[in-house]
Amino acid sequence: MESSVPDFILFLGRFHPLVVHLPIGFLIFAFMFELYGRWKKDSSVSIGIEFALLAGALSAAVACVLGYMLSLGGEYEKAMLDTHFWFGIATTLVTFSAWSIRSGKLKIPKLRGLKSNMAGLTLVVVLVSITGHYGGNLTHGSDYLVKYAPFGRKEKVVLPPIDKLEDAAVYDYLVNPILDAKCTSCHNSSKKKGGLSLQDSMAIKKGGKNGEAFIAGNVAKSEMMRRVMLDPHHEDYMPPEGKTPLTDEEKSILSFWIEKANADFKAKLADVETPEEIASIASNMLGLEDVTGKSGIPLPKVGLVNGEILEDIVGAGFKVRELIFESGLYEVVLPPHYIDSKNGDDLDGKLEKLLPMKDNIIWLSLKDNDVQDRHLKTIGQFVNLQKVELEKNPITDLGIAEITGIQSITGLNLYQTKITASSFDNFIKMKGLERVYAWGTAITEDEVARFAAKQNRPTIIMGM
Amino acid sequence: MCDHHDKLRSNNRDLQGIEKQWDRREFFKKTSLGLGAMALGSLLQSEKLWSAVNPVADPNNSFNSFTKNKLGLPHHLPRAKRIVYLFQSGGPSQLDLFDYKPKLKDMFGQDLPDSIRAGQRLTGMSADQTAFPIAASTLNFKQYGESRAWVSDAMPYLSEVVDDLCFIKGMHTDAINHDPAITFFQTGSQQPGRPSIGSWISYGLGSDNDNLPTFISLVSKNGSGQPLYSRLWGNGFLPTEHQGVQFRSGKDPVLYLGDPENYDGNDRRQMLDYLKKLNGMAYDAFGDPEINARIAQYEMAYRMQTSVPEVTDTSDEPDYIFDMYGPDSRNPGTYAANCLMARKLLEKDVKFVQLYHQGWDQHGNCPGGVKYQSKNTDQGTAALIKDLKQRGMLEDTLVVWGGEFGRTVYSQGQLTETNYGRDHHPKAFTMFMAGAGVKPGFTYGETDDFGYNIIKDPVHTHDFQATLLHLFGIDHERLTFKHQGRRYRLTDVHGDVVKDILV
Repeated sequence: MESSVPDFILFLGRFHPLVVHLPIGFLIFAFMFELYGRWKKDSSVSIGIEFALLAGALSAAVACVLGYMLSLGGEYEKAMLDTHFWFGIATTLVTFSAWSIRSGKLKIPKLRGLKSNMAGLTLVVVLVSITGHYGGNLTHGSDYLVKYAPFGRKEKVVLPPIDKLEDAAVYDYLVNPILDAKCTSCHNSSKKKGGLSLQDSMAIKKGGKNGEAFIAGNVAKSEMMRRVMLDPHHEDYMPPEGKTPLTDEEKSILSFWIEKANADFKAKLADVETPEEIASIASNMLGLEDVTGKSGIPLPKVGLVNGEILEDIVGAGFKVRELIFESGLYEVVLPPHYIDSKNGDDLDGKLEKLLPMKDNIIWLSLKDNDVQDRHLKTIGQFVNLQKVELEKNPITDLGIAEITGIQSITGLNLYQTKITASSFDNFIKMKGLERVYAWGTAITEDEVARFAAKQNRPTIIMGM
Repeated sequence: MCDHHDKLRSNNRDLQGIEKQWDRREFFKKTSLGLGAMALGSLLQSEKLWSAVNPVADPNNSFNSFTKNKLGLPHHLPRAKRIVYLFQSGGPSQLDLFDYKPKLKDMFGQDLPDSIRAGQRLTGMSADQTAFPIAASTLNFKQYGESRAWVSDAMPYLSEVVDDLCFIKGMHTDAINHDPAITFFQTGSQQPGRPSIGSWISYGLGSDNDNLPTFISLVSKNGSGQPLYSRLWGNGFLPTEHQGVQFRSGKDPVLYLGDPENYDGNDRRQMLDYLKKLNGMAYDAFGDPEINARIAQYEMAYRMQTSVPEVTDTSDEPDYIFDMYGPDSRNPGTYAANCLMARKLLEKDVKFVQLYHQGWDQHGNCPGGVKYQSKNTDQGTAALIKDLKQRGMLEDTLVVWGGEFGRTVYSQGQLTETNYGRDHHPKAFTMFMAGAGVKPGFTYGETDDFGYNIIKDPVHTHDFQATLLHLFGIDHERLTFKHQGRRYRLTDVHGDVVKDILV
């Protein structure tokens, strides 16, 4: 059907949304003049009312014709379009009648004066409002008007909250929210631009007038993805100019769903091989603890640290740096040689001061500060540590045993400490540990080689 | 905008005359320009805000500035805390070092096919050559390490550490001549005037060691060739305290730190305090952020009086460390000695150490030149990587090795069995990185059989810069500075983080 409509007709039709506002304005203006005239007992406004009614009727007629042309494009839902169509016609006809009565061209003796005019105008305003409302629904979708209304907000299908990423159904939790945010304002059951609705799984499978929206398992051949991936200036680019484009993350999720999840509407993340990048985006979208972080490193969720606590810690000589702005994750460094054998006892007190923010510290450096085994007992409580620098301290294997509970440590610097190969067992206990620096300790190359032959983790790095 | 009572008032008649003129100007500035002055006031206020990024600039600012970054950085978890950038100035020949092209042996002396050059612009030095004879490298290549990386025999020491390196063989850049190309690499623009990478990082992240500059550059004395300019480590339009401080290549890296004869330096603190007070008044009156930068630099110089001799003193380095860096390392100012110095600076948490070694510009006598350059740098580079690794510092120290462009596969000038020259080639060259969050023992990107065009995974200069900032936790699109009416960034409007080389 679409092809039989000349482009020029569609071109004119697109002026409908512009022109419709004229009758709305004129008619409401006429109504307000009528009220004003009645209230002030001023009949001089009646010429204005008559003119506004005529202008409203004529512009309404034009809007009807243009609206019909627009409807020929076939992008709107039939039932709702019909209602809008008939209400539009009715508004136009009633307006013409109201004008006729007003101007005295049509005389209905029973309805003279106030009643006839007020009744006619009220009816006109009611009709124009209803027509306008339906028109709005056609353009913006039927939930547009009340979406943010404070009353009777329709709870959308609420997805049960999930705690684990693997439990998330790819479509329901990831794809649908993207389509909802970026696509369905034009591709819904009532407004199907290009004949395509992305409202629900049935409609998505049906595709649009250019065929299927996507080919399961093949991103390159999927029309929807092709358009989303185009250069933004391309004519076919989606979403069209003026709408918010999809972010790279959103594109990756859609591609992932089509390619890896085979566009399955039921598949859960657990069922699909999920690359780290997708997992990271997904956790962000779902507000879950980001298991990979932006640098591919899992990060704990922690609260912010009170300024007074920080002040106290900095006062004790530590350097404190927030590792991600406003994340509450910190690097804490005690500058080397801050502690030596003379003030060795001070370290106990200083470490105590860190305890209020122990969960917030993920990098800790205490190198060359006379750290003893007993201090590691305190450090053992810092359960979120990832990188720990303890080099050049008189630490022994007993000290290492104190921190084996910290599973998140990936890099541990023990160069020039007093540890021996007996610590190897403790290294294995630390599940996250990847690299241990052990140059300048009693550990020998042979021991490391033997260890590496049996264990694939952690790598023990020696020196010359 | 300012407090008049804080103004300097001279009791010298001549100066009072000048002050009167100033007052007249001030009057116009502040009254007749009314709104303009108010707008200016708010502008200067924001300048003050910027400069407070570095706590040193304003020691009185609130406590929070020590732990809260004013620019909202880092954007994500950093992998690198510090970087040493070993800049090989001149354009090292990738074809004689890392990018092994065995097929070229059979094409010795043949003209480079037009389909490969594809009309690419050449420098004036070889553009009028009638022929472009292919010159296969005369150096021997071997594969090393578990990663089986190709390295020529010019770099025997580096071949020992290839499993720690990430080679990027598809580097390409925009510029074809030295100065614009180096400026492009270091500042993101071929034209001078933009801040260098180190300045951006200093501006964004501040200092980790209050007693040493955040950004230090070292130029080795045993390389010579195309000149280097201090703007390569300049701060551009960023506040001046973020400029790189060049340590001289020699016994005395920073001059005039020692006290002059017959002065014990005991009242220097007092003198500086008073000077600071005077400068503070000037700042209150004029709001020029450069005054704050100057205060910060005086303070830094004062602290450097103790910190620099400490860090440049290599007497506590054991012999085996010197042996590892090579005999040059005992000769201050050489590349090897600078590598050792770089390690010491990094150990003190200097964030950005920039080394330059000149002389990689082999227009003629390429095989000999590459060998000579390698002899001066190879052992130092490899030792630095080993040394950082054994100290656990490679964990969060990024090492970058590379020049401003590569060199052509065709010979510039006469090609003989044993000798050839190579012209500048911006379309494909090799760099390597190591440490902090970069994949070790990895090679990224590939060039064609001629080493002329990139056929897989190209990395543009801006991509490299974006990746470098990414490793420091910075989103290169969000670290900006407003200057002359628009916001600038290191990567201008380009650059994609090369995620594939990240761990």
